[in-house]
Amino acid sequence: MDRNQTHRNRRRALKVLHFSALFLTMAVICIPGLWIVLNSFRPTVEIMAKPPVWTPSFTLDHYRAMFGGAGEGGVPVFSYFRNSLIVSVVSTFIAILIGMSGGYAFARYRFKGKSGYFVGLMLFRAVPGVALSLPLFIVFAKVGIIDTHLGLILVYVAMNVPFTIWLTDGFFRQIPKELHEAAEIDGCTRWQAFWKVEFPVAKSGVASAAIFAFLTSWNEFALASQLTRSVGSKTMPVGLLDFTAEFTINWGGMCALAVLMIIPALILTFLVQKHLIAGLTFGGVKG
Amino acid sequence: MPRRRLPEWFLLLLPAIIVIAAVVLIPLIFSLYSSFTPYKLTRPSTLWKWIGTYNYEKILTDAKFWAAFGRTVLFLTIALNLEMLLGLGIALMVNKVTWGQRTLRTILMFPMMFSPILVGFQFKFIFNDNIGLVNNALQSMGFNVALPWLVDGKLAMFSIAFAEIWMSTSVFAILILAGLFAMPRDPLEAAKVDGCTPWQSFRHITLPFLMPFIYIAMTIRSLDVARAYDIVQIMTGGGPARRTELLWTLMSRTGYVDARMGLANAMGYVSILLSIFFTVYFFRKLSAARAEIGMGS
Amino acid sequence: MTEVTLSNVVKKYGAHQAVHGIDLDIADGEFVVLVGPSGCGKSTTLRMIAGLEDISGGEVSIGGRVVNDLPPRERNISMVFQNYALYPHMTVRENLGFSLHIAKQDPDQIKIAVDDAAAILGLDELMDRKPAELSGGQRQRVAMGRAIVRHPDVFLFDEPLSNLDAKLRTQMRAEIKKLHQRIGNTIIYVTHDQVEAMTLADRIVLMRDGHIVQVGTPLELFNTPVDTFVASFIGSPPMNLVDGTVNGANLTLTDGTILPIPLTARGLLHDGQAIHFGFRADNLMPIGHAVDEEGEIITLDLTVTLTEPLGTETVLFTEFGGAEVQAKMFNPRPVIPGEAMKFQMVLDKCHVFDAKTGKAIRS
Repeated sequence: MDRNQTHRNRRRALKVLHFSALFLTMAVICIPGLWIVLNSFRPTVEIMAKPPVWTPSFTLDHYRAMFGGAGEGGVPVFSYFRNSLIVSVVSTFIAILIGMSGGYAFARYRFKGKSGYFVGLMLFRAVPGVALSLPLFIVFAKVGIIDTHLGLILVYVAMNVPFTIWLTDGFFRQIPKELHEAAEIDGCTRWQAFWKVEFPVAKSGVASAAIFAFLTSWNEFALASQLTRSVGSKTMPVGLLDFTAEFTINWGGMCALAVLMIIPALILTFLVQKHLIAGLTFGGVKG
Repeated sequence: MPRRRLPEWFLLLLPAIIVIAAVVLIPLIFSLYSSFTPYKLTRPSTLWKWIGTYNYEKILTDAKFWAAFGRTVLFLTIALNLEMLLGLGIALMVNKVTWGQRTLRTILMFPMMFSPILVGFQFKFIFNDNIGLVNNALQSMGFNVALPWLVDGKLAMFSIAFAEIWMSTSVFAILILAGLFAMPRDPLEAAKVDGCTPWQSFRHITLPFLMPFIYIAMTIRSLDVARAYDIVQIMTGGGPARRTELLWTLMSRTGYVDARMGLANAMGYVSILLSIFFTVYFFRKLSAARAEIGMGS
Repeated sequence: MTEVTLSNVVKKYGAHQAVHGIDLDIADGEFVVLVGPSGCGKSTTLRMIAGLEDISGGEVSIGGRVVNDLPPRERNISMVFQNYALYPHMTVRENLGFSLHIAKQDPDQIKIAVDDAAAILGLDELMDRKPAELSGGQRQRVAMGRAIVRHPDVFLFDEPLSNLDAKLRTQMRAEIKKLHQRIGNTIIYVTHDQVEAMTLADRIVLMRDGHIVQVGTPLELFNTPVDTFVASFIGSPPMNLVDGTVNGANLTLTDGTILPIPLTARGLLHDGQAIHFGFRADNLMPIGHAVDEEGEIITLDLTVTLTEPLGTETVLFTEFGGAEVQAKMFNPRPVIPGEAMKFQMVLDKCHVFDAKTGKAIRS
């Protein structure tokens, strides 16, 4: 009976420990983000107050200023948002088309040096953005596509293709080969078999690969900060810098723009989280 | 003469190869070339002057470069390992939970959606010595201090690492959690019956099974190690007095502020090799771990 | 001595109760089979004994020691799982020796123990392979080897043969039985297959919906089922059941057939009581193709509708008392469907069940 008792006690203690550790972890994960959201609704005076004010008041000033146009230290948020949206959506679309075709090649064909090609493609993704931005800056300046949507779109397509290949490869491999064989016996060409049978089955997976690509473009800073200069092409991550002056930072305004940046990402990620995880692990585990 | 047709797989891969060649490979070749010249943005003619390995010799004998290089490697090693351990811990905790697992997993994904630069600003704000959350909280709890989180060299490094780990631990936690969900329960129960303590079950059964997932996370992470640049650039810019200088910030300063592109590109190549090293290393580990648990194709 | 005792053991999943207060005494060295349809709580019961499921109520003791809150490792048991549960990253040798390795035994002794087990199960050739390289039967052997290496007090088997094909299953069944005869440990074995239960068990525990329906030797369950559920679960083909009512000293079946009440139920029935009349296929045999029987024999004229020749016997389908029933023909000759034959039935070996409760009525 004694031993039963000790085991019972130990289990209870572990339960308490487990719960507190989990709570602490979740707090650490959530608080920074919530802090940003909270401060986007606080007046600057209160943010800067010394000693700190812990009971927040509510104001929409920062949002009003942000959407209020370029006057009064406002930042051209609409342009940045539009630039981000155009660049991210277009580059995602192209990257998915190209990446899907590559992923399909890896999933369905056997050829010599396959894993070599695969790792090789991945390595291009590993090139640090800063290191790439130096020569790209010069090349793009020569070609004349610096500070344009096109330039940024090209870069993001190249950046997203390798990882899209990784993900779609995994999704296509989950689909049994017999499926397109059956479709071909039923009279489809290989092309039809892909679009009518395999693509619809892999659709949710492709969608999550698209979200991943979109987020990468949406959030990218290192390259965008060098390849864009003007209101006509700057994206939101670059726009965040507009809130910093030499020695001061407009924290409230920045928080407001940050919230604007996070919301689309938040929605998209939640929509596909399940497929996202499945794709990442499957592509990786089943060699 | 009948033209030999290219194989289908190659045609399918061709767009990817073309776009990567155009946007990544060609600039890289250009930067490789320019790293052998004294190219300065301000004096374009310098691009045509060949100086051999002078730039490389210069950075290899530069103490500041080595300091940044060493700091980068150390930073990555510590950050990746901590992220892995914390991610593992979080995944195990969430896996044990019996209620609201989906909600917890969703919360876990939260930092994944943050732009690295946003993470930088966020923690620059939180660790601000005057109005930051951390110091405010400390002061309200009665500690009469204003810790110079981003000014003191050691504290700044800590703050940066904190931001980096906050941002990237999720990837590990999510992927390892996926591994735990995929894990068959039988071997674990067999181990229990075979006399394993919880720690032994973890060590001998769970961990070997999770290794491929850990390496996938490591590989995905190492594809993007350089995004720490965004964070550092925003939080400290490599300062104060270069005490948080990483390879990437040094490179960007050399290229864009000092306009010495040739030299910066030489550094760029070192950083590329470093990234490639990390990626290849984990890819290797990944295939080995897969073979170990009989998952290879 | 390692007897296993369950007293009033309960398992609840939230509001749902999976096991309703089971009492069971298992003697040292006994081979007990828990059998029942899926969802009857047999696996849950076994897992509670193993310590893999929490016990919601009651007590489980092994060797006279209450183990309710002990983790599996302190119960000195071993278990063979349905899906083998081999460790995929270890070789056969490592799989077999794992529990001893965990217990920090001397490597030389581990080797001896592992080689012993391997020899018993014929695994010598496979020692350096990994589970993925083994066939189903080989994996099953490794799983059993892993269980015997430790010399546990109690063996637990959780549907160990259900993933094997029919031929291999028969073969492994014999091996398990030999194993038990050889090492003589207490074995608790879960299956949904009544043939496995009949062939292996010293005692069968038949479960349904979280209750024990009947406990007994295979022959007890076969010959004296306590209710219609046991009657139709045990034995192949299942017992024939025909509806009827009590009419004085006779039974009137649905189609008007009148039979005397079997000896064992005489005096226990009341007029007008609704009953099921039950008999096994081998208690309805064509005259001239029957095995010798003693007791009160009645003869019946029936028409065969379908035949299933099995070699030494043929199963005949026919209509009796308003229901389709099966009969057995020994030393068979070809029979054409539609042929009328004379059958004999030993009334003493027939069963009467109450139609309302399903319980057997027997003195």
